[in-house]
Amino acid sequence: MKRQKRFEALEKRPIHLDGFVKEWPEEGFVALEGPNDPKPSIKIENGVVTELDSKKREDFDLIDMYIADHGIDKSNAEHVMSMDSNKLANMLCDPNVPREKIIPLTTGMTPAKAVDVISKMNFVEMMMATQKMRPRRTPATQCHVTNLRDDPVQIAADAADAALRGFPEQETTTAVARYAPLNAISIMIGAQTGRPGVLTQCSVEEALELSLGMRGFTAYAETISVYGTEQVFTDGDDTPWSKGFLASCYASRGLKMRFTSGSGSEVMMGYAEGKSMLYLEARCIYITKASGVQGLQNGGVSCIGIPGSVPSGIRSVLGENLICMMLDLECASANDQAFSHSDMRRTERLLGQFLAGTDYISSGYSSVPNSDNMFAGSNTDAMDYDDYYVMQRDLKVNGGIVPVKEEDVIKVRNKAARALQTVFEALGLPKITDEEVEAATYANTSADMPERNMVEDMKAAQDMMNRGITGIDIVKGLYNGGFRDVAQAVLSLLQQRIAGDFLQTSAIFDKDWNVISAVNDKNDYEGPGTGYRVSGETWDKIKNIPMAIDPSNV
Amino acid sequence: MADIDVDLLRKIVKEVISETSAANKKVDFSNNSGASSNTATATVTNKNQPEAKDAPLQLDWFKHEGPAKQGTAVDEVVVAVLPGFAEHMTENITGVSHKDILRQVTAGIEEEGLRARVIKVYRTADVSFAAAEGDKLCGSGIAIAIQSKGTTVIHQRDEDPLTNLELFPQAPVITLDTYRAIGINAAKYAKGESPTPVPTVNDQMARVQYQAKSALMHIKETKYVVQGKGPDEIQVNFD
Amino acid sequence: MSEMEDLVAKVMADMKDSDTKSKPAENQTSTQSTASTSTGKELGRDDYPLFRKHPDMIKSPTGKSVSDITLDNVINDKITPDDLRITPATLKAQGEIAKSAGRAAIKSNFDRAAELTAIPDKRLLEMYGSLRPYRSTEQELLDMADELENKYNAKITADWVREAAKNYKIRKKLKGDN
Repeated sequence: MKRQKRFEALEKRPIHLDGFVKEWPEEGFVALEGPNDPKPSIKIENGVVTELDSKKREDFDLIDMYIADHGIDKSNAEHVMSMDSNKLANMLCDPNVPREKIIPLTTGMTPAKAVDVISKMNFVEMMMATQKMRPRRTPATQCHVTNLRDDPVQIAADAADAALRGFPEQETTTAVARYAPLNAISIMIGAQTGRPGVLTQCSVEEALELSLGMRGFTAYAETISVYGTEQVFTDGDDTPWSKGFLASCYASRGLKMRFTSGSGSEVMMGYAEGKSMLYLEARCIYITKASGVQGLQNGGVSCIGIPGSVPSGIRSVLGENLICMMLDLECASANDQAFSHSDMRRTERLLGQFLAGTDYISSGYSSVPNSDNMFAGSNTDAMDYDDYYVMQRDLKVNGGIVPVKEEDVIKVRNKAARALQTVFEALGLPKITDEEVEAATYANTSADMPERNMVEDMKAAQDMMNRGITGIDIVKGLYNGGFRDVAQAVLSLLQQRIAGDFLQTSAIFDKDWNVISAVNDKNDYEGPGTGYRVSGETWDKIKNIPMAIDPSNV
Repeated sequence: MADIDVDLLRKIVKEVISETSAANKKVDFSNNSGASSNTATATVTNKNQPEAKDAPLQLDWFKHEGPAKQGTAVDEVVVAVLPGFAEHMTENITGVSHKDILRQVTAGIEEEGLRARVIKVYRTADVSFAAAEGDKLCGSGIAIAIQSKGTTVIHQRDEDPLTNLELFPQAPVITLDTYRAIGINAAKYAKGESPTPVPTVNDQMARVQYQAKSALMHIKETKYVVQGKGPDEIQVNFD
Repeated sequence: MSEMEDLVAKVMADMKDSDTKSKPAENQTSTQSTASTSTGKELGRDDYPLFRKHPDMIKSPTGKSVSDITLDNVINDKITPDDLRITPATLKAQGEIAKSAGRAAIKSNFDRAAELTAIPDKRLLEMYGSLRPYRSTEQELLDMADELENKYNAKITADWVREAAKNYKIRKKLKGDN
């Protein structure tokens, strides 16, 4: 065939590098309303759920059993299940129905019912519902802080940089697992230098992650994965009960935690049981609720390419965030994975959560250029900061971060790198040179950093674990090195564990360690004039982008 | 979908579709009365045979030599390949042949003066669990596992299955040189050394491009899982 | 345990008026020990955050109060890691606050967590490992449950483990089942 020139030109556009697949319901390649999805149903006899979504109790798998016994508010279930899904969907997006009126209904639904309700809504209706249903009144966002070589000095500097920009939660992970203890302390020290009150975590294997928390190297955890089919759950090396136990372990040490799920993971791992992505994801959300965990990171997450490849997939992803909020769970709404080659489509992916506002719009936003992002890249990265600031300013939206001055960033990056240098010396870790401090201060990517001896660092990391070093040793190191304010911030973080206020739903801290959560900052949106509005100091900061011309200087 | 091999993709989809429809129907959990109390066990026993029905390719370079035995030699490294590898799929996600991948990995191990033992795992399609199965059989306690799509790990005995020495999750960016370097590093771990980890190439757009295809290949891998079946010893011959 | 909870839920549902306004329950009907306040009254939303509103109530397991957690005390080696742990009483209090804010499931989690504070880090990590699929026989899980109940007085969590054992057996997730 002779090629038509416009078609040829279009094929060279970045969108053509994205992966799209036609629906294949038998293997779960369908976003929602899959032909094999079960019909919503519930039967309760003597207080026991004997039928859930068309399945009898004797046929329950581990997940059905767990949800039936722990995850549904039985007092309301039969009433809610008899209600029309269209009516429930209507109530969800109607600003005149306050959140606290509808939560008792949504928490009595079964997974299939929740999916049925979502399937009645278009994208804008879901956004309206999200604006009302997010548990915390004030929206926020989270970031990733990583680099290709696990360079601790760069992590500290980037964490300080990101903290100054306003991320109240920061997450790191490793390129090489054995670096985990170093990455954990680097992000903590950097973040507390940039802005006291930031919560930090290090995403690694479940048991190791918990042990880092126990030592006071991390304040919360998020990558506690749950899955929607039994086979995939056990392939993930857990069961609902082991994950529920793990949740209690975290709380018992005063550590915040949320689970992670996301549609597409069951397809990705090959056992979707022929169910739609949203139905399987709904099961994950109910497992989270059943475990008594305060929140969930969901919305495709690292498998976003799977729902993103099928029709209505990105709509369905906002739907899964919304189910999370309907169950009164903190929602960290993904937008955390390189998603598209097309800038236009990347923005499309972000808009639902960005405009409606969620507890964490991204989880997370890559605070480093994507080439250094060890979560395999995020939907938005450090190179998008200025675009993001302008979007906030254009639309008067609080997307969770604020513009900063270059000189302020240089200052905190340098201080964080020096603070880490001091701690490494105090703990007997491999030396951080002044050259590294200088490089980290001005670096954009790990290519700007001198190389460290990775083998020595890893040995030292293991040795530090063997020696039983804890957060207290870090506080002492900071104090003795002259970083009294950072020492105080790290100590305050440890101190908050005793009080446990940040174990409540959607909790973050401001710079003065005031906790802001769904308990004391509950979402009270009821239409125009109510709920969260961008105003005051926040709006002044969002407005004030350095690239705007000041008319008085013309 | 530009760069990815659309034909291969289509072929995989087609094959898997035909296999799934040919294979046993999934257990129906709907409330039909009758055999309900047996369904739980039925789902499990269902998997004592692979779900896919196509016969494995007969290869002269990849021969089964019966069940894999417990190794005792401390100078061996086990290379565990997953159920679909070589015999049901022949190339990784970017079209690198499985034969070349194994050739490079084993050459890397031998370059360090150690012996490579190849086994095929049936119990799982998960790369980490396959590695954990491999290192238990390995005299040195170090195993490499490779999925058909190309994802690779190095694992050490007594670690939790999902705790890896090194993990190469982004199959699309693993080149033959990387596979050789993985072999070399695994051998060094077996000798008790602490090698510098194989540099990871981080191409954040690779996942975007390949994630859906990766899922399709993995789904195909799961069709060859046989629950309860131990690994086979494999004799490889690259001459 | 779940039956008990169901029963409680049912009773509470019957008591609740048709208005969906959430209000703190006045009495706890469950078998668990109640409240941590000296007055015996359950805590609610208005008592939150404890750190600002009830600093006097918060104690470390070693008896230190929040005001003892100072830099000076750290530098003078008067603070150990044990001083920075949450207590069962504080977890119960946070559970009551969560429940009063309409989140009863969180309270159940914190009730288990309160029990787990007594278990050393190492043993706790081992227990988590034992609950992972294909790690333990039924008897090993039941023994662990007994250990939880008898050695650590962790009755709720012990039942949690027994419930897991029962379901692992049915769904073939015990040692040797894979």
